[in-house]
Amino acid sequence: MAFLTLLLKASLIYGGLLGTAALMTLAERKVSAWMQLRVGPNRVGPGGLLQPLADGVKFILKEEVTPDGANMWIFRLAPMLAAIPAMMTVAVVPFAGQVELFGLDFGNLSVTDLDIGLLFILALSGLSVYGVILGGWASNSKYSLLGGLRASAQMVSYELSLIMTALAVVALTGAMDLREIVAAQAGSIFNWNVFTPVVGQVGLVLFVIATFAETNRHPFDFAECEPELVGGFHTEYSSMKFALFFLGEYCAMTVMACLTTVLFLGGYQVPFWEDAPWFVQLGAFGAKVGFFLFLFIWVRWTLPRFRYDQLMNLGWKVFLPVALANLLVVGALIALGWA
Amino acid sequence: MVDLLFYVAALLSVLCALGVVISENPVQSVLMLLGSFLGIAVIYLLAGFQFLAAIQVLVYGGAIMVLFLFVVMLLNLGDPEVQADEPLFHGRGRVTGGLGVALAALAVLLTASRGTALAPVETYLWPEGGLDPLLGMAEAMFGRYVLPFEAASVLLLATAVGVMALAKRQRTKRAIAPAPLESKEAAA
Repeated sequence: MAFLTLLLKASLIYGGLLGTAALMTLAERKVSAWMQLRVGPNRVGPGGLLQPLADGVKFILKEEVTPDGANMWIFRLAPMLAAIPAMMTVAVVPFAGQVELFGLDFGNLSVTDLDIGLLFILALSGLSVYGVILGGWASNSKYSLLGGLRASAQMVSYELSLIMTALAVVALTGAMDLREIVAAQAGSIFNWNVFTPVVGQVGLVLFVIATFAETNRHPFDFAECEPELVGGFHTEYSSMKFALFFLGEYCAMTVMACLTTVLFLGGYQVPFWEDAPWFVQLGAFGAKVGFFLFLFIWVRWTLPRFRYDQLMNLGWKVFLPVALANLLVVGALIALGWA
Repeated sequence: MVDLLFYVAALLSVLCALGVVISENPVQSVLMLLGSFLGIAVIYLLAGFQFLAAIQVLVYGGAIMVLFLFVVMLLNLGDPEVQADEPLFHGRGRVTGGLGVALAALAVLLTASRGTALAPVETYLWPEGGLDPLLGMAEAMFGRYVLPFEAASVLLLATAVGVMALAKRQRTKRAIAPAPLESKEAAA
């Protein structure tokens, strides 16, 4: 029974993640069309809803091309390395509290609850950079290599600020278990970490921007910067291998949106309704995550791309000092007993 | 089950460590090193150190090895055939390498002959009271062994600075040589 429950929850959560990633590819085009006064994909299914499915079929039917002189092993390994760690991270995300259905108790709605859930996500998302770097290197093409190099420098730089900011929340809560972090924000809306004076707001802004850099999203998508690098690290990839990179990126975005929600916006907590039933909690979580996913698209179609040196300056000379100062202030608040 | 997983992870990390030295392609070497680190992370997990395993993956897997790859990829920009001509091990390298392997093998044999490899760690970090393993480690690191711990970090820093100073001196010497382009490739 316990195993069946776990299997059911795991398949539902992974199905949900992949479904969200597929819908995001559609939403990306629909929202961009809306922002640019176009129509967007509307031929397949009602309102273009089946477009991701059509894309999937197209990816599978496309010819797989391997460039001359590519390192075959690493060339094949890279898309897997990009997609798998990104998908694994969702295992520790708490989607809702206790689930009871038809009189049966299914436990908490998440695949598993780890004591070190936050570290688990950060460690695995740190590994997903290998897909980008190795894909760029193994393609045996200068554009791909440059894309991979940029990705490696960028992700290491912003990972620092990301971790420092998350660490401030850990210090405030005293736990790395994501479910405990959510539980600590129960009750009034002002218990959410984002409403902790100054450090909450600074933390949220830093974390969201670092997330953009960490997932290689616009305005920091230098790994695939089209005007400079053709397609960047995935220039030489075709067919399902390319689709895996795509899938990895959207899964990473979804999980990072979940993590931002958990750390700063109270996770699945419904304001002023502490013991809400699980479907209401799931709805609240979905709404908060949906906002951040929309933000990803919104920013992509609004801001122009940075320059690479601007990105590095911002990461090391602004973000890291501010994140450190943020952590210091949190430490001081705790030492003074104000938080 | 745990024993089997331990042997698989140990074999993986040892084989990967061998691969680091043997493989001719530097990028492959870095990948092998990554595999070795991940194997070690699995061993930490089996010993009950979730936190240590996550930090191992986060710091070594996610940050340090990425920097290694970055540097290796920059070095590798030259013609790969130039590097392939060089012999894998040089005279002195063979001796020190062989000695290292022999020492490592001796250590493995000694550990194996003492029964299960994980037992001593368990008895130290899980005393009768059932202390949290992380707490036990923190107590050991910042309490009883704080001086050696800090000394080791200073030593590592000194080593890093020393390596940089040595590498820098070699490069300035080479720069005086008549054909700077060739010598640069040889260094890579």
